[in-house]
Order: sequence, then structure tokens, then C-alpha cells
Amino acid sequence: MEVRINAHMPGLVARVVVAEGEMVKAGQEVAVINCMKTEMSVVSHVAGVVKEILVKEWDEMQVDAPMVILEAEEG
Amino acid sequence: MIKKLVIANRGEVVSRIIRACKKLGVATVAVYSEADRNALFTRQADEAVPIGPANPMKSYLNIEAIIQAAQQCGADAVHPGYGFLAENYAFAQAVIDKGMTWVGPAPEVMKAVESKCYCRHIAEKVRVPVNPGTLDPIQNVEEVYRFAEEVGYPVFLKLDKGGGGKGIEKVNADAEVQPVFERISRIGLAAFGSGDCYIEKMLVNPRHLEVQFLGDNFGNYVCLGERECSIQRRHQKIIEESPSPVVTPRDREMIFDYSLRLARAMNYQGAGTIEGLRSQAGDYYFMEINARLQVEHPVTELLTGVDIVKTQLQIASGEKLALKQDQVSVKGHAIEARVYAEDPVSFQPSPGTIKRLVLPGEKETLRIDHALEEGGVVPPYYDPLLAKVITWAPSRTEAIAALVEALEGFHIEGLATTISLNLSILKNKHFSEGKYHTGFIEDLLEKNG
Repeated sequence: MEVRINAHMPGLVARVVVAEGEMVKAGQEVAVINCMKTEMSVVSHVAGVVKEILVKEWDEMQVDAPMVILEAEEG
Repeated sequence: MIKKLVIANRGEVVSRIIRACKKLGVATVAVYSEADRNALFTRQADEAVPIGPANPMKSYLNIEAIIQAAQQCGADAVHPGYGFLAENYAFAQAVIDKGMTWVGPAPEVMKAVESKCYCRHIAEKVRVPVNPGTLDPIQNVEEVYRFAEEVGYPVFLKLDKGGGGKGIEKVNADAEVQPVFERISRIGLAAFGSGDCYIEKMLVNPRHLEVQFLGDNFGNYVCLGERECSIQRRHQKIIEESPSPVVTPRDREMIFDYSLRLARAMNYQGAGTIEGLRSQAGDYYFMEINARLQVEHPVTELLTGVDIVKTQLQIASGEKLALKQDQVSVKGHAIEARVYAEDPVSFQPSPGTIKRLVLPGEKETLRIDHALEEGGVVPPYYDPLLAKVITWAPSRTEAIAALVEALEGFHIEGLATTISLNLSILKNKHFSEGKYHTGFIEDLLEKNG
């Protein structure tokens, strides 16, 4: 099943810390958003494989905008 | 005198600089990113020019776009404010190369003082004490081991060209040196173009003191007093006051003398600040020079009656400093609280739209520097500073009481602010006794948490 990891804070993308094809555990950081000069960690709530990265460094983010698509682990 | 000034910044500092320009009859140009399209500061200026998208790399940090905007509107000078390009000598040089006036020190001075090791060498030359450490960047980790063996851990590794709280790392033991050295060098190279770092002894609970000075192009300098800025969190200042509750008249004379010796040796022009530390034992150490207008300059303005921004513009226009040291009158006490768009407990940033705004009434002894309005947007892309509230009174106790009263009458709805944190600091017993240091906020939060 596809799962979208969305921005929980607005700001600028500071960096994406995972690569397409990478295994991600639940609770793992996938990206960092710079909100008012504070770095905020964006965490995946499920385990899975990174299917697609939708953002790059310096992109402007609104709350709930999708950042990364995971293929979630079954079960 | 400058005729038309571009203010290469955003928010409250733009409003502040516009006020000084009005006194001098200087026309003003605001530049703005798409995120600030409808911001109050753009309407306060005589003209406003768009310079790019919200991303500051493409707008407020975009030298080309700002220079183009300045030329397009026929401006003859640029004031960088603080932050963004304020300490960027390439920007200063680009302004000068286009035949415009740069409101700040000469680019070659800016370039030199960017190196903390250069400043430490200057200090040694003019016999101003610096915090023990190395004068030059270190070549290998062995130097750290040797230094720590002599003075003991913890020590700081600091980037020669760091800034904004970035590029300072504490090292507690030999085993930590190598990874920290590698990490800090990597950060430096990526963020500041140089991975050079040097060693400094870590002082236990020091106080952060700075001296504001002005210098013209004719070798005249005046000191406008010190500011104590020890109330900070993660190198972000929260409360500033002047005079400092711990500086004695004799020490004050000494640190003024240090500051002017340094400013002269650096051939510095304009407004500048010498930052230093005071150890628990009462020793003073020079730390760095801030080659720009500082956020907390209103504290000094309210205390001395000197308009620092107006004087910057006069100096940049080639005027002689009219003020003499014996004309600087320091009476009473001034104190400032910075209000940030942050949760007062978690410090999580809080951008948003201002739904309701109630400001305490300004008077001669109460100043509020801001660019806020109801319906105004506080974007998530920039610094969280919302406003500065500054009070003056004959005594420190009265100045604190006036600031408490002002903050209690300051209401912002629509986003979280640090007003309640400011109030709990100002009402703290140790703070009111003047007994505090740079670890004060951490201690306070620990007790409350």
C-alpha cells in the first residue's frame, strides 16, 4: 500500500535524508524542514520502502503537502 | 547626504530604518519576496520592489536581484539591516562597484573581521585579552589534546568564520575530538566556505557583554555604553539591558578602552559592536566584532538618546561624527525583551496570521519596534522575531517593572509568542537581583519543567 509522508510544519525543505529504494523503519526521519530557522524532523509513521521523493532542498512547504511516498510493508 | 536608500531586509528593521530616513529626508525603497508581498514594511517605504520567491536564497540573499532593484529605482545607497547580507562583503563590494553608498564598514574591513583568528591576532597586538585558546586555526587534533591537557575539558572548537550560533561545538574528552573536528570542518565548508577552526577554553557560566561604538571616516570614535545580553537560549538573545548590573565604573572604563583600541586597529567605520565575555572571576575577554547594526541597538538608543541608524546614514554620507565621548550621557536604565513567534515552552516555531493585535501605548520611555498588523502574515521562511519592547526608567527596578507592564498589555492572537517566557524571566528573583549568566534560561526551564 502507498503511504504519503506529509509536511507537519510549513517552511523550506532543509534536506531529504532518504533515497528512493531505501528501507525505512517506523519512526525514522525521512526529511528535515527549516521552519523559521529551526530544523524540524519529518518522520515516517510506518515501515516501508521509499518509492518516490517529491521534494528537493529549498522547496517551499505548506502543512500537509506530500514529501515522500512509501510502499508500506505488509502486515 | 544619501538621497534614496534601498533597505535590503524585511520586517521590523525595515520599519526602524525608514524612521531614521524620515528624520533626514531620505527616500526609502523596500525590497520584498513573494512571501512578503502584502507586508506592512513594504507599504511604509516610499517605494517597494519585488526581488524574488519566498526562498531567501532567491530573494533576501540574492545579491544580483537586490542590486538590480536598487539600480532600477535609481537609489544611491543600500542599508543591509541585520542578518541576511549585512555581513557579506561581496554584497558591500557589489553595491560600491555600482557607484552606490554602502551603509556599513568598508568591504575589506568586513572581510578581515569575518575571521575570528584575525580578530584574536589584532586583540593581541593592541593588548586586549582574549579567551585562552589558539590564535590560529588548528592543523590537527593533536593540538586539541595538548590544549586540553593544559587547561582541562570541556573546550570549544569554533569555526574561524562561523556565525549566528553555528560552528561552535563543545568537546568533553579526547575521544570526542576527532569526530567533532571532522563534523565542524564539514559544516564550515558547506555553510561558510571554510572549515578552519580554532580552540577556545570554555568558561563556566560567563556573562555576555557587548560594547556599542560608532566610528567615522576621520578616525573619530565614541562608545555608547555596554549591553548585557546573557539571557539567551541556543545563542538567541531574549533580554538585553544597559548598563549591565555587574560592570563597575572602573571595568566600564576598561572595556570601553579595549573596544576603541580594537575598532581603531581594525580601521572600522560606522556602527559596530565588540562582543565579549565576563568570567565568574570578573575577567573580561574579547570574543568578536559584529560589523553591522545589531538587533538590540534600541537599548542603547533609549539609554543615550543617540539615534544609531541616523548616525550610520550620516557617517556613510561622509559626515564627521558630531558626538564627542564626554557628550554621551548614560542616565538611568534601559531594557529590551524580544518577542518571538515560538511556543514559550517547547520553542517550536509558530508562523501564521495575526488575528488580533493589541500594543501597549508608546511613550518617550517605552518603545516597540515591530512591523506587525492585524491580518498580517508571519511567514515560516524567516527569523521568528516579531517585536522588541524596550523601556527606560531612572533605575533598573523601575525599568523592569515598566517592561513587565508593557508586556502584560501586549497581545497577539493567531500564533504562539514568547511573551509569557519574557514575563517569567523578568519576574524571576535572581534576574531582578541581577544574578544571572548565559545558562539562566536552561536553569529556569529545568526548574519549571
